[in-house]
Amino acid sequence: MKRFLLLLAVLALAVTACAPAATPTPVVTREVVEVTKEVVREVEKPRITVRLSGWAANPQETALLESLLYRCSLQNPDIVVKYEPITGDYWAKIKTLVASGEEPDIYYMDIFQFPFFAAKGVLVPLDDYMAQAGVKKEDFIKTLIDAFTGPDGKVYGIPKDFNTLALFYNKDLFAQAGIPEPNENWTWEDLKNAARRLSDPAKGIYGLGVPADPGRFPIFVFQNGGRIMTPDFGDTTLDSAEVIEAAKFYTSFRAEKIGAIPADVGVDWQGTGFGQGKLAMVFEGGWLIPYLREQFPTLKWGATFPPSGPKGRGNLIFTVAYVISKNSKNPEAAWKTINCLTSEESQAIVLSTGFALPSRAKLAESEYFKTRPESLVIFKGAEFGTPFMWGLRGDVVNEQMAKALERIYLEGQDVEASFKQAAEEVRKALKEQQ
Amino acid sequence: MIRIRRRQLGEWIAAYILLSPYLFVFLVFSVFAIAYAFYLSFTYFDLFSPPRWIGLGNYLYLLRDNLFLQKAVPNTLKYVAVVVPVQTAISLLLAFAMDQEIKFRRFFRTLFYVPSVTSSVVISLIFLWLFKKTGVINQLLGLSIDWLTSPTFALPTIMIVNIWATTGTMMVIFLAGLQDIPVTYYEAAMIDGANRWQMLRHITIPLLRPVIFFVVTMGVIGCFQVFDQIYVMTAGGPLDSTTTIAYLIYKWAFQSTTPFMGRASAVAFVLAGMILIVTVIQRRLIERPTEV
Repeated sequence: MKRFLLLLAVLALAVTACAPAATPTPVVTREVVEVTKEVVREVEKPRITVRLSGWAANPQETALLESLLYRCSLQNPDIVVKYEPITGDYWAKIKTLVASGEEPDIYYMDIFQFPFFAAKGVLVPLDDYMAQAGVKKEDFIKTLIDAFTGPDGKVYGIPKDFNTLALFYNKDLFAQAGIPEPNENWTWEDLKNAARRLSDPAKGIYGLGVPADPGRFPIFVFQNGGRIMTPDFGDTTLDSAEVIEAAKFYTSFRAEKIGAIPADVGVDWQGTGFGQGKLAMVFEGGWLIPYLREQFPTLKWGATFPPSGPKGRGNLIFTVAYVISKNSKNPEAAWKTINCLTSEESQAIVLSTGFALPSRAKLAESEYFKTRPESLVIFKGAEFGTPFMWGLRGDVVNEQMAKALERIYLEGQDVEASFKQAAEEVRKALKEQQ
Repeated sequence: MIRIRRRQLGEWIAAYILLSPYLFVFLVFSVFAIAYAFYLSFTYFDLFSPPRWIGLGNYLYLLRDNLFLQKAVPNTLKYVAVVVPVQTAISLLLAFAMDQEIKFRRFFRTLFYVPSVTSSVVISLIFLWLFKKTGVINQLLGLSIDWLTSPTFALPTIMIVNIWATTGTMMVIFLAGLQDIPVTYYEAAMIDGANRWQMLRHITIPLLRPVIFFVVTMGVIGCFQVFDQIYVMTAGGPLDSTTTIAYLIYKWAFQSTTPFMGRASAVAFVLAGMILIVTVIQRRLIERPTEV
């Protein structure tokens, strides 16, 4: 042992003594060092950081996005994506970030908010990137990619997912009433007759949820061949005969005590009322499915297409896209990230988790839908759906639609007068737009 | 003479150096922010394009906007007119009670003060549940009122919540004011044969005047700016029955698909003007020279 230590000491001395000398050995050493340096340089090749923001969804959805981002980091090893979810009021935050030029490279864009961003030129057009990467518009569901096309004909967002409305029904209440469950061939009359049979106001059970909600009512307008806004969004059609007729039908449910708004059954959202068995039928989107599974696991429910109106089918499409900020210093890296997040593989993963419906048209044939007909109903709803978007003053249109229904419900105002008033208010707001 | 000046100058410099961290924050986040908002109130500004000067356009718009004139202003005035007197009266009564030698005084004081240290959002969420159609309030009263979804009851409900939440703070301020009044005055009055009512009228209330002024002023400012409870409980609805001036600022600035920052800034300055006027009037009315 002692001898070994001594040997070490001698060796150490020898090395230190040798090092400064100009013997051939150090030359070799230098070469080695240079080689290692080169390797190090290659690994430390500057990676591009791209910031991505969305609203903070539930933890599972965040985990899903993070796993997709991990997959994308393997595909694009030179890009680091920093996910910065925004809690609280997303649009207030993102708009002020854009105003100060501090917005993330990629962010979520809801179709409802899109017109303002598109009109103001704060987004990067994606057509050239799509062409380079071989991504075709036809790969996506047409209504979705068209929705994110600006007034100049350029694509500004790649839809990441979407939702439509389905008619959810409580199977037990239908069995108790002894009437057949809804199917895709239902008409407005079928809906009303069923609501009549299902309602039992004494027990606090109502046939249909008819909230004063601008995210529900318009499907009746579309089914009646009407519109909310003119095609160029320059004027509203809330006082048209089609809308008023649809509103008369929609509000007749509550007037006849066979339909209810959430407050009537003591809930904030009709999804809760449906889960509690107080509303036999509701029009809701795919978000209701995980909610029912978690909160009301014993409820027996089904879902089908909303009924056809006098002028056929109609639905609303809620969709969100990834957009790239014009202030982005690395739009190419941002594009690569978006392209990976919306690729067919990523979208298939999104679908398999059941959180959202993918925007890729091809996934209609996915195995997933075979065991989940209710999700397929919502997916296929896009075929006859209209995007939930009313132009630059969408907030006013939504607000006035809700108020028109509230005036009828809470103050007993005449349907026609109420919607005429709403149309006037919208026109005033459109005129005030400077 | 010069020497004194120089010393004064040195003191000033030292004072400003010591004040500088605060002054910096004050200049940037108060003076600059207010000045910029004032400038914005004369512009059309949607956040994405640079502000465009439109002169008095926003103020003239307010003079013909129904939401502002027929909903926001009357709602705010109603709110102030009800909440301020009620919360002042209740907190004054509570302060009198807490000033007496009663059992569990400390316990009650703490209890009444608890709402003041609770987040207003949490309070709003709890009351949201209590005031549901199937909630505790309706069950206790044997009623079935849609408190928050009825245009008639929504604003009074928010008034109740705010009164409940703020009386504790005001009670503590009143209590401090009451205990500040020297006992000697009461002793002197007692020797003179004054009864309790006379003592209250001629000693307590006059000496409490600065405190009353403070409490009422803070109450008025707080009520004019009521926002959180409305944001959480009703979002200005139903049918704008709870849209107040402060909520309108938020609505136009941040809830609109196209933001109206200029218009929102103009409302903010109108609100500030209203508060200023009301405060000056109060000062005239309440803070008369005290005579004992």
